[in-house]
Amino acid sequence: MAPQTLTRPKQNQTVEDKVQQLRRLYADAPQYAKTALENSLGELTSFGSKPRARVESAGRTGSRQGKVSELTMIAPFAPGGAARLRALLQLRDGSFDDTDRVGTVHDMRFVFLDNDTKLLFATAYDGEWDPYIDDFATKITDQMDVIFSACEGWPGIRSPKVKDWIVKYQITAEGWYVAHPDLTVRDISHVKRIGKAAEEFLDKIG
Amino acid sequence: MLSIKESVGETLSTPSPALETSDIQATVLRPRPKPYCGEYVILRIGNAEQGREMLRRILPYVAPADEWWVPSLPGWLGIAFTFEGLKALGVPQASLGSFPIEFRQGMAARAAILHDFGANAPANWEYPFGTPDAHVALAIYAQNNQDLQKVLDLARKSHHDLPQISVVYRMQFGELPEGRNPFGFKDGLHNPHVEGSGLAGAGQEASIKPGEFVMGYPDERGETANVPIPAELRRNGTFVAVRKFHMDVAAFRRYLRAQASSPEEEELIAAKMVGRWRSGAPLVLAPDRDDPALGTDGNRNNDFSYADDMKGLKCPFSSHIRRVNPRDALKNDIVAVDLHHFLRRGTNYGPPLPEGVLEDDGAERGGVFLLIGAYLHRQFEFIQSQWVTDGNFISHGTEQDPLIGNNEGDGIFTIPKRPVRRRLQGLPRFVTVRGGEYCFMPGLRALRWIARLGDDAEQTAAR
Repeated sequence: MAPQTLTRPKQNQTVEDKVQQLRRLYADAPQYAKTALENSLGELTSFGSKPRARVESAGRTGSRQGKVSELTMIAPFAPGGAARLRALLQLRDGSFDDTDRVGTVHDMRFVFLDNDTKLLFATAYDGEWDPYIDDFATKITDQMDVIFSACEGWPGIRSPKVKDWIVKYQITAEGWYVAHPDLTVRDISHVKRIGKAAEEFLDKIG
Repeated sequence: MLSIKESVGETLSTPSPALETSDIQATVLRPRPKPYCGEYVILRIGNAEQGREMLRRILPYVAPADEWWVPSLPGWLGIAFTFEGLKALGVPQASLGSFPIEFRQGMAARAAILHDFGANAPANWEYPFGTPDAHVALAIYAQNNQDLQKVLDLARKSHHDLPQISVVYRMQFGELPEGRNPFGFKDGLHNPHVEGSGLAGAGQEASIKPGEFVMGYPDERGETANVPIPAELRRNGTFVAVRKFHMDVAAFRRYLRAQASSPEEEELIAAKMVGRWRSGAPLVLAPDRDDPALGTDGNRNNDFSYADDMKGLKCPFSSHIRRVNPRDALKNDIVAVDLHHFLRRGTNYGPPLPEGVLEDDGAERGGVFLLIGAYLHRQFEFIQSQWVTDGNFISHGTEQDPLIGNNEGDGIFTIPKRPVRRRLQGLPRFVTVRGGEYCFMPGLRALRWIARLGDDAEQTAAR
């Protein structure tokens, strides 16, 4: 896994070089943007020199920070797909018990673009999806297919072509913030349990 | 809400056809002889025609699974090839390119996925592991040294007058007293039951579809492997992840001594790490003390589930056997456990470290494991990356397998307990990878197909 930085700067580009480049790019921006850049540069350069969490690539596409990976995908809807998916999401009304059981998904969003012709699907999840694709295909076949069959050419979660289909529409995020790259969904549940028990203990002795 | 399928088997109803045991290598389906000794040999092929000549000569001695109990030889010979080895034998490009990516890359190139870092990194492996010089792996088993020498002699004669075939590696292995591994645990205990293999399964254990372990039969996904091509090459073949481990027995004993206040507690901690007592008795059935009668009873020592131990109070979630083979422990998760099995053929090497010795004597000792399955990626690689070297699947963060994990002195091991769990700190690396290779172990007809490759190779592959 080759490290991949967010902005893909030229190799060996110093912070000073990056600042020079930014000033050139902002030269055409409105005055308030230029002022904002100058006001922000102090803070930007101080953490620019020491990144908080290394951003790496996650599998074939997408990026990863610590234990968390991102997947962003824009795929065309199949005819009638947008209406089907919208009705399905409305029925679910925010309920994703099946996703809870996967245990590695931080969030998912479904955004309909360009007059219901394309789906933007974005998610943050732990580790890599690739090793688990066969498990999903076996254990949550219908849950996957009922959603993604809304997209054109979805080969079915059980198809050997499904990995290629995902990668075909996946776009690596240029920028991405993760508050706790060191915590998985299961870590967070664990910390919540420990925190609750600790509070109860403190209540008893306090 | 849509229901979640409870088991893989539910979607499949077709019974598996009987396995062609006369065409499948014995190493795949049969346990090693008892008692056993043997030798692993690695050959390098410098010339394709000489490689195929060697193969033609050795072919009559390769043991099929059906003759295992009446061997026509005084020993058992298994043969497998790395990707480099298949290239060196002149296997056509169309076939080579059809092999799964992990096999084409080889185990060393998969180090990041397999967590083979630090002392386990391929740069520290013994030659020729992880280099392009490892081509053909021979595994020879016999019941005594005399028989072993006879089979070794046959193997030698297959190439002694072929100057382009060189022996690049040899290592002997043999049984330790009482069938224990170097750490002192009864070994070779569990293997999944292969449907149609002709061996009986233990108790309540599920049968696994043969296509998981041998190509040419339906697998747990209801599919039949369609690569590598042609079908003649893959039929009755499989893949083997070879791993050679060094075991630091003295470090294991010192760690137990430091964590425990009595010999009984040392034994309990050791059992918690493994998931079984030294006799082989599983913690789930014998939670408080060893039960040697249970340990030696082959009908009972694998007849258990984790259904009554979902909090891990008997057998910790993080114990070695519960990680490598979770049985029903993950039944509430979105994991299809039956897609992640391998057949494990283990052998020990080196002298035992005498009882009570706490300082390393410098001797090389450990185990060589042949981890066999039709899909390296979702079997060996999945188990190694998701279950052995990570703890997230059991909500244990980055905690690794206490015994075979790649701990570097800062490992932790969680033992669920009431009222509060116990957590051991500072685990060192007890097991170090000395080398490994991904190999293809063809069926006997496929071996003949390779041996016949020559002028008409391209046509055969294109069929």
